[in-house]
Amino acid sequence: MNYALLKMGAGVLATVGLYSMLYRENKFYRFWEHVFLGLASGWALVALWTETLYSTWWTKMVGSHTDAGAPATRGYWAYAILVPISLLGYTVFSKKHNWLSRIPIGIILGLYSGQQLSAWQNRYLPQIMTSMKPIIPNGGLFKNSTTVPGTLTVSQALTNIIFLTTVLCVLSYFIFSVDVKSKLLKNTSTLGRYLLMIGFGAIFGSTVMMRFTLLIDRMYFIWIEFVQNGIVHAMTNR
Amino acid sequence: MADELTKDVPKKSAGALLQSVPKNVLFGILFLFATFPLFLNIALPNKPLEESTAFYANLMKLPPNSKVLIASDWTNSTRGESGGEMEALLRILIRKQIKFGLYSTADPQAPQVARDVIARIAKEVADDGGPVYKPFTDYVVLGYFPNSEGTNLAVNNNVLTAFAGKKDLPEGGQQTDVMQSPVFTGVKSLADFKYFILVTASSTDKIIIERIKKTPMMFMVTGVMVPENVTYYASGQLKGLIGGVKGVYDLETLMEKGEPESQVASLPGTDKLKKNKMLKGTAYYPTLTICLFLLILFIFAGNIGMFFSRKEAK
Repeated sequence: MNYALLKMGAGVLATVGLYSMLYRENKFYRFWEHVFLGLASGWALVALWTETLYSTWWTKMVGSHTDAGAPATRGYWAYAILVPISLLGYTVFSKKHNWLSRIPIGIILGLYSGQQLSAWQNRYLPQIMTSMKPIIPNGGLFKNSTTVPGTLTVSQALTNIIFLTTVLCVLSYFIFSVDVKSKLLKNTSTLGRYLLMIGFGAIFGSTVMMRFTLLIDRMYFIWIEFVQNGIVHAMTNR
Repeated sequence: MADELTKDVPKKSAGALLQSVPKNVLFGILFLFATFPLFLNIALPNKPLEESTAFYANLMKLPPNSKVLIASDWTNSTRGESGGEMEALLRILIRKQIKFGLYSTADPQAPQVARDVIARIAKEVADDGGPVYKPFTDYVVLGYFPNSEGTNLAVNNNVLTAFAGKKDLPEGGQQTDVMQSPVFTGVKSLADFKYFILVTASSTDKIIIERIKKTPMMFMVTGVMVPENVTYYASGQLKGLIGGVKGVYDLETLMEKGEPESQVASLPGTDKLKKNKMLKGTAYYPTLTICLFLLILFIFAGNIGMFFSRKEAK
């Protein structure tokens, strides 16, 4: 048996082990759960040094050398300041000095908060701008190959009206600051709630589809990749 | 004696029976329906979505030796969707001879998962007579970076500084600075990469939408993320979008048949892959459809059972 097949066999056992939970709680499931956790933790720990601390902090701090031993890049010792700052995070375990842990937390919060204005702008402004859609048609009924770019067909105008109605109704649902007495606003708010429910239903449907796909993929792995393309193929080519 | 005992047990009504199917039986039927169609060649008619067509057309219009930057933020836990997306993307990039750099910010396992897929697809294309894609020369794996917010902001501000000090392994060689890779030749800014492509199963889609500004973006997301990401496509923030297994099926349909309306050609070698059942979307989508029919049937049966039970109770 070759190494690739052996590796896939372990994957099949892990898949069966983890799915065995559907039948009932058992030790086979627990075993594979712990194997998975152990592997993930070990991998993350190694990656923390090799992929993170070494290349993005240590190498930049001490500089690098060519294979011949000559200096390749200069070291920036200012990176060493990060050590005492990050160690302050551990003072959270001391009753007397735990206030010091707020310093690294404060720096992180400050950096994050500083980004938020630009982040919000990048994420939402284009959406707000494109929500202002035209609703008066100036072209034919449907878009076809002869439609001039920039023309708004009746069908597109109808789509835009549905879009704008949805946006306005959903926005009216979120008016909580004032006591809504207008009958029109009450109705649009109710419609907004129904439209939101349709949206949530679509999201839930997508979630179900995704979970099913994950199951189908596991079955593909076991039956097509391991059994059909692996074991059967190896046996027929022996 | 036994006959007398069974006589005393009250017979369950049809309504009660429909509502009391054991959980394990339901799971068993589901597993059967999620497996059996995989062995059949079921061809479902498909009209690719506008966003999937845009994704494919944008990549196919790139000239050879163009460069794209990929953020690969998925692992084997979402292989069912992200794996198919990544495979389709790589087949297009390799066949079109587009160079790429790849990095991850969501999971430390992600770079290795991507490496395995790249090696497999590169071998598959080369074995079929397509271009031979070599690590470091044609693509470079830039590794894992923690703190997605900070990293992606740094990538947008100065892509060379963000990846400085990272090393990758050329074929048969030793660890070499990624800046020496032909992928970074002539790169001064993120704008020198024609597209920023994100393959994700995590919340990095929001982080990247908020931070990457210098180059057009296209996303490949899981099914559950589609409703949110469609709004980014509709507002023009994304130039293309592949969502879930439907997106993969769209991409594979386009790879097989091309897009006559946009005058975009098909991708060589796709027919052979389809024949050998190597296309994930083409295999999974009909199976998914059958599973969804089964789910609807179960819900319908349960409700019919409840209706009859209530009627009998009255």
